[in-house]
Amino acid sequence: MSAACGSSSPFSPPDRLPLLGRAPEDELYRTLSVRITAGQFLAAARALAARLPPAPYVVNLCHNRLYVAVGFAAALLRGQVSILAGDPTEQWLKALARRYPQAYVLAEAPDLRVALPVHIVGFEPERGQGDDAPPLLAADQLAALVLTSGSTGEPVPHAKHWGSLVARTLTAAERFQFESDAPAGIVGTVPSQHMYGLESTLLLPWHAPAASFCGDAFYPSDILAALQTMQEPRWLVTTPFQLRALLASEVSLPPLAGIISATAPLSADQAEAAERRWQTKVFEIFGATEVGAIATRRTTAEEEWQTYSGITLAAEEGGVRVFAEGTPPGRLADAIALVDSTRFRLLGRREDLIKRAGKRASLAGLTQALMEIEGVEDGIFVAPENLDSEPTARLTAYVVAPTRSVAEIRAALSQKIEPAFLPRRIIKLERLPRNATGKLPRQALRALSARFGDP
Amino acid sequence: MPTAIDHQTAEEAELARLLVETLHLDIPPESIDPVMPLFGDELGLDSIDALELALAISRAYGVEIKSDDARNKEIFASLRSLAGYIAEHRTR
Repeated sequence: MSAACGSSSPFSPPDRLPLLGRAPEDELYRTLSVRITAGQFLAAARALAARLPPAPYVVNLCHNRLYVAVGFAAALLRGQVSILAGDPTEQWLKALARRYPQAYVLAEAPDLRVALPVHIVGFEPERGQGDDAPPLLAADQLAALVLTSGSTGEPVPHAKHWGSLVARTLTAAERFQFESDAPAGIVGTVPSQHMYGLESTLLLPWHAPAASFCGDAFYPSDILAALQTMQEPRWLVTTPFQLRALLASEVSLPPLAGIISATAPLSADQAEAAERRWQTKVFEIFGATEVGAIATRRTTAEEEWQTYSGITLAAEEGGVRVFAEGTPPGRLADAIALVDSTRFRLLGRREDLIKRAGKRASLAGLTQALMEIEGVEDGIFVAPENLDSEPTARLTAYVVAPTRSVAEIRAALSQKIEPAFLPRRIIKLERLPRNATGKLPRQALRALSARFGDP
Repeated sequence: MPTAIDHQTAEEAELARLLVETLHLDIPPESIDPVMPLFGDELGLDSIDALELALAISRAYGVEIKSDDARNKEIFASLRSLAGYIAEHRTR
């Protein structure tokens, strides 16, 4: 191990940080059949970097974590900014092509949905040099733009600088007590282009003693095969939805050192069931795409969240501000009660912001998309309370559209919004229960839900 | 004007009921066209639905769905393809 842990304080980051903080023979990634060392990875990143077209931006649409990672590393070496979008809709891809016309797409296969040139990714360690020291990158180099949905449904970019990404992987490794004499084997069930997956599955091996699984890990039987591939101590990086499916399935997992869950609140019952069944520890990460991972807690032991070292919170008018070294201060959209500057309790979501499957959207933005459909005279999206915790809970849309059928409205919506937020029920009404000022009082919406039997 | 749909076989009708029950769909099971795509515009199913559905199928039929099965997309393509895969692999 080179200077991975401990030598640098997150409060006084060096100006330049190596691409990799691991020894050439250390394993970074593993597939069902192959192990990739830091040396091989660096060689492959250099070989790919040499072949990349000149451009300021690269939209990384690769699927396999290994290809996403080598593409991201190659872009860093070339000073190109990676645009990362979890699972972009066609509308997002169109918006990206409009906003970043000089960008190109990096993918495993031609992608006909996007109006940008596509460069096919490759992993060719034999064509590059990997044994010498990894190059140093400026801490303030703009590494990535991670996209989330804005209030109108358009993608909003969040700037990620190299120094802050490295600082965060080091603090995560410290929090979860990864040790260099027994590197962790990580199986992530989340996409690498999502901020959680980027930090906790793709980047962790670059600077912390860990190897990350690259391959399918979605269904319980995939996760079993992936975990069997990795060495102990094994860590599962997942979401409440997948943890729930794992608990409900009959697969018997190999020993787990820890489970990390994020994207939605995990119930204490589920955490306890998981700890009991697999004799393990379940941690949650609380994060926001603007800032990245912010805090953790051991769900069965603590109600309060503890921020990562180097991250502090401060209450401000109508919200909470986050201070993290190397990142501009961010605002949290969740309702939070501060205990002190590094500990807090979550109070739930704000009225308009909804989360599902690691994605978030604004009800106002979704309603706007509905209203833009031809023939829709009035409409509103309504979310059940348990949207982020109950797999079958979905949005409902109430619509006034005398000339359009429910199927037509559904088809039009599916062009505009992500599948996670498509309403399961679209209910046509003659008019919405607007009050004298044209507003839809919450009480009237509750009455609607009761009348149409929403759960 | 609803268009005529393909006739559901007995196995497809049973699977359609499982689908509607598991995912709390707001449609009658018999209205699912066995040859229409399950994921995408028609029913608006997403990855969490796939996970729930895989779990229900494993319980009801003892069939484990896997991502690395090269036929995964084909299997989930329609009610008919899914019913066919289950018929081939069911253990209960």
